[in-house]
Amino acid sequence: MKRLFRLLAFLAVSASLPARGQDAIQSSVPRSGDSPSATPLSKKIPERALLATGAWSSTSDSTTPLPEGGSVANGAYTNAYFGFSYKLPAGWMEKAAGSPPSATGSYALTLLTPADNYKGSGRGTILVTAQDMFFTPIPLANAVELLNYTKAHLQGDLKVELEPTVTMIAGQPFTSFAYWSPGTALYWHVLATEIRCHTVQFILMNRDPKTLESLVQEVNRLNWAAIPSETGAGRDDAPVCIKDYARGENVLERNDPVFPEHRFNPVPVRIIIDKEGKVRHIHFLTAFPDQAKTTTDALAQWRFKPYLRDGKPVEVETGIIFGPERHLAKPPVREATQSNSMTVASQR
Amino acid sequence: MKRILKYSSTSVVVLMIVGSAFGQTDPGVRNGTIDAGFGLTSVSGSSPDPNKVAFFNNGFTRFETAKTVTGSSNNGLGPRFNLNACGQCHSQPANGGSSPSSSEFPFVGDNPESEVLSRGIAFSPNTIPYFVSASGPVLEARFPYFFTNSGETSERDGGVHDLYTVQGNPDASSCTLAQPHFNTAASFNDIVFRIPTPVFGAGYIENIGEDTLINFFNGEVGNPFGVSGTFNYNGNDRTISRFGWKAQNKSMLLFSGEAFNVEMGITNELFQNERPNPDEENNFVGLPSGCLNLTGTGYPEDKTPINTSNSGTAASSDITMFAIFMRLLEQPTARPSGYSTATTTVTAASISRGQTAFSTVGCAACHAPSLTTDTSNLDSELTHATAHLYSDLEIHHMGGLADNILQGMAMGDQFRTSPLWGVGQRIFFLHDGRASDLLTAIQDHCLAPVSGSGFPASEACTAEANFAALPATSGGGTTTSQQDVLNFLRSL
Repeated sequence: MKRLFRLLAFLAVSASLPARGQDAIQSSVPRSGDSPSATPLSKKIPERALLATGAWSSTSDSTTPLPEGGSVANGAYTNAYFGFSYKLPAGWMEKAAGSPPSATGSYALTLLTPADNYKGSGRGTILVTAQDMFFTPIPLANAVELLNYTKAHLQGDLKVELEPTVTMIAGQPFTSFAYWSPGTALYWHVLATEIRCHTVQFILMNRDPKTLESLVQEVNRLNWAAIPSETGAGRDDAPVCIKDYARGENVLERNDPVFPEHRFNPVPVRIIIDKEGKVRHIHFLTAFPDQAKTTTDALAQWRFKPYLRDGKPVEVETGIIFGPERHLAKPPVREATQSNSMTVASQR
Repeated sequence: MKRILKYSSTSVVVLMIVGSAFGQTDPGVRNGTIDAGFGLTSVSGSSPDPNKVAFFNNGFTRFETAKTVTGSSNNGLGPRFNLNACGQCHSQPANGGSSPSSSEFPFVGDNPESEVLSRGIAFSPNTIPYFVSASGPVLEARFPYFFTNSGETSERDGGVHDLYTVQGNPDASSCTLAQPHFNTAASFNDIVFRIPTPVFGAGYIENIGEDTLINFFNGEVGNPFGVSGTFNYNGNDRTISRFGWKAQNKSMLLFSGEAFNVEMGITNELFQNERPNPDEENNFVGLPSGCLNLTGTGYPEDKTPINTSNSGTAASSDITMFAIFMRLLEQPTARPSGYSTATTTVTAASISRGQTAFSTVGCAACHAPSLTTDTSNLDSELTHATAHLYSDLEIHHMGGLADNILQGMAMGDQFRTSPLWGVGQRIFFLHDGRASDLLTAIQDHCLAPVSGSGFPASEACTAEANFAALPATSGGGTTTSQQDVLNFLRSL
């Protein structure tokens, strides 16, 4: 089961209210169970739908792929938004499925570990993450900067073995970064690439450096070609990702949402603008349902200047933050170019 | 106790095998000395400040003193309550701690909630709820949803339902008030629990600046563990709140006032009105009139005495003195040089290896080993001090640990990173005390979300899996192991 998140409505008080007054309950519910001698009932948490409410991820439609929309099936992790399929190493399984993003654009896409019947010598983890580079709380322009930032914040006794280095894997530029812990004898190798304004990371950890090396080599088997674009017209038709497109002269008509209720959360939004300059898809990284509705209504009235590539209008994907930005810092405006790796995936 | 995951058909027993009898075990409660519950140096040091000593001791006394319905100098208990003194619940390993036990060092005593009838704190027709046992833990109960005879409704409750009422108490003869229907709630799977949070080192936590917390948050960008926490905010000034299981409370004063009213039914200058239970509020019936103003003196029951002849500690309300007492509590003492428990002795070398592994595998991405405080106007020891709290004070998605209680910005699956200082002498772990050994507590960091809940996987799964990749024990050598991490935790 997966996983295009729809707008989750706040639980409405649609069911009947409880009977007024305690007496109505007292008179019809046996009290013997409240004696000290009663057999203790299960302490497990409620199993009824614990519907997620509050600020959550949502989308304006159910067909456009989302970053968190990947899943494991038939021995492979496939993500239509990022456009790749990654075959799970032999004997490995998905331990934890992907999660909706944080307000700062951080996604855990999938966590893989050896299965219980794994016969290999190397126990470890493979975590695939994505970071929306528009919403990072500090300005980081690309995968190299992100990995250098990670390197500067390594904890414990971790030692760098391979500085962040650009290399080609499966025909795509990746930044490769390796470190290890002398104390725990655990080894990491991180492979990061830029896809649609996100830095996607394959974070491989293993107790056995040889197994780790083998797993790193297997990333070469990433399959880019299996996923059709969301418009069905082939991957070259994917939107062009331009960070911070929604400002200045690019915005011809603008109507900011006015949230009915004062809250403290920022509302980070990723949108796809069609060739006519209208918003055709909205992905709320996190928003309360009323914030999502208000923002959707407002964005329906926005008009953008169409983006031209080779003289022809193309769809644009970009990010906007509504509400308080808190500690989020605005990154510099950057435009995707032919040589920029952020558009490489859309060329495939 | 082992848990079964629900991620996939082949993953069911992953954590069972990793955590099963391969040799790593929780060494148990650290014994020898009680390493928490004393004051800052200005209180407990060799040259104490007499003013601070007086305020600390007075707050300590009030924290411990049993409250009554009426008829004493500490009135106001009820009409609903969990216990009659702060120090009853917060007592392991000392005043200000968590849930006690009579079988673990320092053998404080049985769960006091199980003794209310025998000790004349509650009276018949009150009965001991099914989930209260002498062996603990101390529990507070909440119902995520309101329910009727037919079952749960879709209307959120989430408030505390106190265990006992004053009915039957000779000092409350006018009050007829039934206990909540805990068994009925349980039959609908509509009950969740919380254990007391320790308040050691509260002054340090209060004095950690917003920028310090934000800087730590920013430093986690791109972390290799899939961690992405956020903050809870208080509704008054939109600053980061930091106390409580969901970081829902801003300050010790707010914590004191809320607990005094919610857990003991004593109105105060922060929460001035007698508190009906959530059903009574939701049904617009409130408390029965015979259960109001039982002291006869009106509200609030705890107040600042407006009397110019009072001075010093006598001039303050109970909640003020509670807050001052907790604010002056020292952070727990760690034992990195080694320690003993009832079953084993742990060496400094093992603790050191475990401390390194704790950060390396990713636990420290949330359980930040230390944060530095701001300049303090209260005590020099709280100025630019290193608080070894092992928490980022953020709220994180915790998968199957979800209790479906919303508090502030915290959703039903989000919990504050529990500070680990003092964990070496704690007995019950996680928000509802479900785990009584640290290995289970670690494994429960990656419980599968309840099917259909809509909650995502826990943010802690990668760190937990990295921990599980370590060998179970060092085998008598120096290889860093899961056992080393457990030994390190019990040194805190």
